[in-house]
Amino acid sequence: MPRIGIQAVKGTITLALPLIALAFVAEFFLPAALARLATLYLIYVTAVVGMQIYSGNSGIISFGHAGFMAVGAYGASLLTIQPAVMSTSLPDLPVWLAGIAGGQPLLVGMLGALLVVGVVAALFGLPLSRLGGAAASIATLGFLVIIHVTLVASADITRGTQTFFGVPRGVSTLTALPVALIAVAVARIYRDTRGGLSLRAAREDEIAARASGVNVVRQRFLAWVLGGLVSGAAGVLLAHFLGAFSPKDFHFNLTFLLMAMLILGGISTVSGAVGGTALIVVMVDLLRRLEGGAEVFGLQLPQVFGLTDIGVGLVILAVMYRLRDGLFGLREVDERLFPEPVVKATPPAQSGASDNVSLAIEGVGCRFAGLVALDDVSFAVRPGLVTGLIGPNGAGKSTLINAISGVVPPSSGRVLLNGTDTALVPVHEVPTRGLGRTFQNIRLFRNLTVLENVIVAADAVAGPGEDSRAAAMAALAVVGMQDLASRPATSLPYGAQRRLEIARALALRPSFLLLDEPAAGMNPAETDALISVLRQIQAAHRIGLLVVEHDLKLIMRLCDRIVVLNKGQMIAEGTPEEIRANPAVIEAYIGKRRAAA
Amino acid sequence: MSMDIFLQQLLNALSLGGTYALLALGLAVVFSIIGLINFAHGELMTVTGYAICFALIWGLPFPLAVIAGLVVAIAAALLMERIAFRPVRGASGTTLLLTSFAVSAILRVLFQNIISARPIPVSIPSSMSGVVTIGPLHLGMIQLISIVVTLVMLLGLNLFLHRTMAGRAMRAASEDFAVLRLMGIRANFVVATAFAISGLLAGVAGLLWVAQRGSVDPLMGALPVLKAFIAAIIGGLGSLSGAVAGGFLLGFIEVILQAYLPDSLLPYRDAFAILLVIAVLLFRPQGLLARKTLVKL
Repeated sequence: MPRIGIQAVKGTITLALPLIALAFVAEFFLPAALARLATLYLIYVTAVVGMQIYSGNSGIISFGHAGFMAVGAYGASLLTIQPAVMSTSLPDLPVWLAGIAGGQPLLVGMLGALLVVGVVAALFGLPLSRLGGAAASIATLGFLVIIHVTLVASADITRGTQTFFGVPRGVSTLTALPVALIAVAVARIYRDTRGGLSLRAAREDEIAARASGVNVVRQRFLAWVLGGLVSGAAGVLLAHFLGAFSPKDFHFNLTFLLMAMLILGGISTVSGAVGGTALIVVMVDLLRRLEGGAEVFGLQLPQVFGLTDIGVGLVILAVMYRLRDGLFGLREVDERLFPEPVVKATPPAQSGASDNVSLAIEGVGCRFAGLVALDDVSFAVRPGLVTGLIGPNGAGKSTLINAISGVVPPSSGRVLLNGTDTALVPVHEVPTRGLGRTFQNIRLFRNLTVLENVIVAADAVAGPGEDSRAAAMAALAVVGMQDLASRPATSLPYGAQRRLEIARALALRPSFLLLDEPAAGMNPAETDALISVLRQIQAAHRIGLLVVEHDLKLIMRLCDRIVVLNKGQMIAEGTPEEIRANPAVIEAYIGKRRAAA
Repeated sequence: MSMDIFLQQLLNALSLGGTYALLALGLAVVFSIIGLINFAHGELMTVTGYAICFALIWGLPFPLAVIAGLVVAIAAALLMERIAFRPVRGASGTTLLLTSFAVSAILRVLFQNIISARPIPVSIPSSMSGVVTIGPLHLGMIQLISIVVTLVMLLGLNLFLHRTMAGRAMRAASEDFAVLRLMGIRANFVVATAFAISGLLAGVAGLLWVAQRGSVDPLMGALPVLKAFIAAIIGGLGSLSGAVAGGFLLGFIEVILQAYLPDSLLPYRDAFAILLVIAVLLFRPQGLLARKTLVKL
């Protein structure tokens, strides 16, 4: 059962009310032409919301959703087509299809089509969800072309490039309304579910999302299939609104139109999809009237072919140049109008990590094309103690961290987390198995709130029925950031961003926490605050800390054990006193001249 | 299959793949520098086609018309960068992608309104469309020319990138643009060079395309560039050698499918080709020759 938050319910109602009002006004008070426009609007809202589910949450622009609409349109129409028309227009229908095709009610058509859409989406989603960014966008474009080519080529079933007709035109405003409402509800609820939130986190920073336990590939796949189903439903409606169509109606022009609708309102929100679609539908309707060479204020305008395309193109450019997040920005309307109050949590009297946890680095070596970055490093991070990892630049600290967190598996040796080799589990599972981390260059989910940043990690380890929100607030309380919970992460001062990263890692309830230069760039006051937070974590939660730092004073103050690397070799391990007195360390780290003095 | 049919198919694959490779390379040059996937790359092809077409109508001899076409392609690429893409330079890949998507659509409508929505014939010299007979082999002249031109372009670009100051700056920029700027090289110069190169490559591809088809229309560039996109991802986005490899791979796949698919499945050729190529991504999500990017964690 997906998590349905109060905020998502508020959001759904906020968006549903205007749609319901519009549908009833259009149905009972507006002239037929405007009522048709309202119906078209509801259909486009459904389609765009389907795109938003995938693109808005993953950040990957999709050119493929017009393809889903096409599959939905043809799939449903084959079931619902008037039998009398079918026998003449589709004489070569394959036998298996002829048995079920024609004469079915719209609902059956819808369900049948969505089944096909789901299968198609899942098949293509397998390779697609492994891609991110621009490559994924191009792959969705490939999807659109595949669908188009297939429809044109399957002339026995689709009549190829010729018009497919005889589809009962049963879609009015009141038929389109429930589908649009379901679409909006699905999208708004999905946005706040574990899957939606973690996908938004991956959109902001894929590496940090993986380090917070997010299975990015799976979440992309789910959003692709879910969005595909919603857009497919829009295709079903459009087919039964138009009654006749051909494959080119679901190709680039439609894609272009949907894209403008999505980005004008703002790709990140469902509100944006609903609002942007309204504006584009009105604009396109006005431009279509001008296209035929209308008379405006006594002036006869020339016929301009494709005026709507130019208008749509200019809207996209204007948004890109002036208003990248769209008219509605990054937050939903409901999140601005009726934000959920932040309830403070008390940090739980956590029993802390149990004693039978272990993090052992065993003979780890890393080679990159002949360069030995690390050679045979072995030590253990002990629960409840702070272990420092120091060494001059190029000593191999970062390489070791990447090996421990499973990002870059070692070329020899292994890292055992509670007895499991971290190189053998997927990167996103290492954090949920008890190893949290922070990054040298802060990696936050910048456009999510402070609280959402932490919820992503809390979700990754939450059992069924557990309240991730409360767990996240508790983690924020540990670093003293409860009051900032509803701020966007990107608005925080530097020191607070570092602490937020720690809170996010803590929300994973780790047995071990790996801090990569946590004090880098901090002023003395921020460093002191950091040290007290780390001490508190160490004391209250019995977490084993591994701290990589350049700041020797900090390391000496904080650590129980220190490991020293130099040129890929581990040259010393011991207490701060032992390290301070170790001549090899002084020579390697502080320099020969100082060592002599 | 007899020898000359096999050779002819090989030539077809090389010439088609070569055109895709040139297009994908043009996309990759720009992508590697500013992270833009240029949807309007196809319109550069189309512009070249129109320029050659009108130059011939105005009575210029064919070689001059070709030069005019290429000059127009380069100028159009530079203008595109200056007018449309500079305002969004440095923005996210999504912003850049959508911007170029809009530019492409607007240009197509302009072609349709200002020039013509219908194909305009281009009179290609008959010497380019003949058949060359070597012993028992009859080979298409235009395919041979395509292959030679593609090879010359690839070699030329390789020399430019490795032997000239500007070329080295380009390669450095594709590794790390920020550092290059700290070295005192002007960003505008590097970006303009990238667009000029991509314009030239699109121009040559446009020339070869027009020479094969004998006409220009507003949508001429759309399909080949779409294929080039896919070639570029398969090669590994932003990798120049990957783009070339991806282009040739796609060309070979298409020609093989064309030759061996049963007649009933031939209309599905493009769908199969794209599916095959995307299946590659299941095994190599980063593409065949992915750029090694070092992410500092």
